Amino acid sequence: MGATVGHAPRKSSRPVTGLRQAPDPPDDDLAARFRDGDEQALREAYDRYGRAVLHLAGSTLANRSDAEDVTQATFVAAWLGRETFDPAKGSLLGWLLGIGRRKVIDRLRASARESRVVETVRQLPDPAPAGPNPDTVVDRLVVADELARLPEDQRRMLELAFFDDLTHQQISTVTGVPLGTVKSHIRRGMQSLKRRWEVDGAAPGPRAAGLSGTR
Amino acid sequence: MQHLDHERLVFLALGESEADNGESTHLDTCEPCRHEIATLRHVAGLGAGTQDLRDLPDPPEHVWQGIVAEIRAAEELPSIAEQRRATSAVERAAPPVEVLTGGPSSTAGVKKGPFLARVPRWAATVGTAVAAAVLGVVGTLAVLNVTGTGPEPEPQREVLASAPLSAYGSTPPEANGEARVFDNGRLHLHVANLPDVSGYYEVWLINPGTMEMFSVGVLGGADDELLPLPPNVDLEAYSVVDVSAEAYDNNTAHSGDSLLRGTLTG
Repeated sequence: MGATVGHAPRKSSRPVTGLRQAPDPPDDDLAARFRDGDEQALREAYDRYGRAVLHLAGSTLANRSDAEDVTQATFVAAWLGRETFDPAKGSLLGWLLGIGRRKVIDRLRASARESRVVETVRQLPDPAPAGPNPDTVVDRLVVADELARLPEDQRRMLELAFFDDLTHQQISTVTGVPLGTVKSHIRRGMQSLKRRWEVDGAAPGPRAAGLSGTR
Repeated sequence: MQHLDHERLVFLALGESEADNGESTHLDTCEPCRHEIATLRHVAGLGAGTQDLRDLPDPPEHVWQGIVAEIRAAEELPSIAEQRRATSAVERAAPPVEVLTGGPSSTAGVKKGPFLARVPRWAATVGTAVAAAVLGVVGTLAVLNVTGTGPEPEPQREVLASAPLSAYGSTPPEANGEARVFDNGRLHLHVANLPDVSGYYEVWLINPGTMEMFSVGVLGGADDELLPLPPNVDLEAYSVVDVSAEAYDNNTAHSGDSLLRGTLTG
């Protein structure tokens, strides 16, 4: 009966984010080597997470070259401050995004100051383009990374639920996996996403969503 | 009352099923279960927003080149923040002293990869040559066409040493400046394109060997400033001019946020 249902199985077996590199050693190995000053680890971290940092900066800053500057400054600051990175407190990606987030907020503030000056001069209302909240972008990137790391079955079920908006019954029908198994994959996958978000997300931490304490 | 099954919480959060009467009653009174559902729902919303993160574009190559260049430059001189960490590390664990002494040994233990292999010190050589050329051509120069706000007009002065200042760390690269030490013991600073800061700019002389430093003064609103140096200052030792961003925070130490740096030669 599965074959007669309208939903053709999607070709969704590709890793879900560009954050994942094919055969990668465990992330904690990279994090530890990064912290120890292994320059090869800097290049690997950049290859793996440079896109995520650039996405954070690019989606929150209007100016492309600002976004590239922030990406560059993030990796420089991370490398020079690598001793302060504590792998026990979160992932390397989460840490990099935290640095990038602070730099983005600094830029946003600086340009807000500039536009206030402009506004005063021109007596015009400030139509500042409200880009997405940096915290939300960080959170999405962290969840995307975790989704890409989930066991294949869990990831596939969650993608069908998130992206294709299928009910669990529909997922079971489309994939031929028993409903109970679908539910269990989804439950465990959700649990992992939630845990990762609590560790590495921007919003749930003690610094909350406010802009204070970034300098 | 017993909490709801975690599986039920997940499915309620995903809208997969409706809470029955008993569950609704429990949720009305149970903050932890409500919070868990809200969190799971939020995470699911984030998950649904990740679809367009599948194929993020690579950063352009010049970003990586910029990272390498900046890191090389920073390793020529240990950053103040690094120095501070090293100091506190000494206080904690007394590691070998060469950690503190800057120069090549400051990066001892760092495994050099192919792309960050140490460059020859051509930069320093070029800097010296430029400074010498400046000295040769200028020799003496009219100081500062001071525009009202500055100190008293100076007669022609000999330049004992000078340093081009360039953007340091994450400072926008267009920031730059120049420092000159005159034979009357004044330090002339010219700065341009400094990034906006909420506090003020402070000028420091740093001994790159020990990372000891002292404050020379603050910059006013103009692009040029003339600051007195202590008469007995050893410019051979305190050879690095540093302009930092400081906050009004009742902390007189260097903030660690260096905007410009340069090394005095001449």
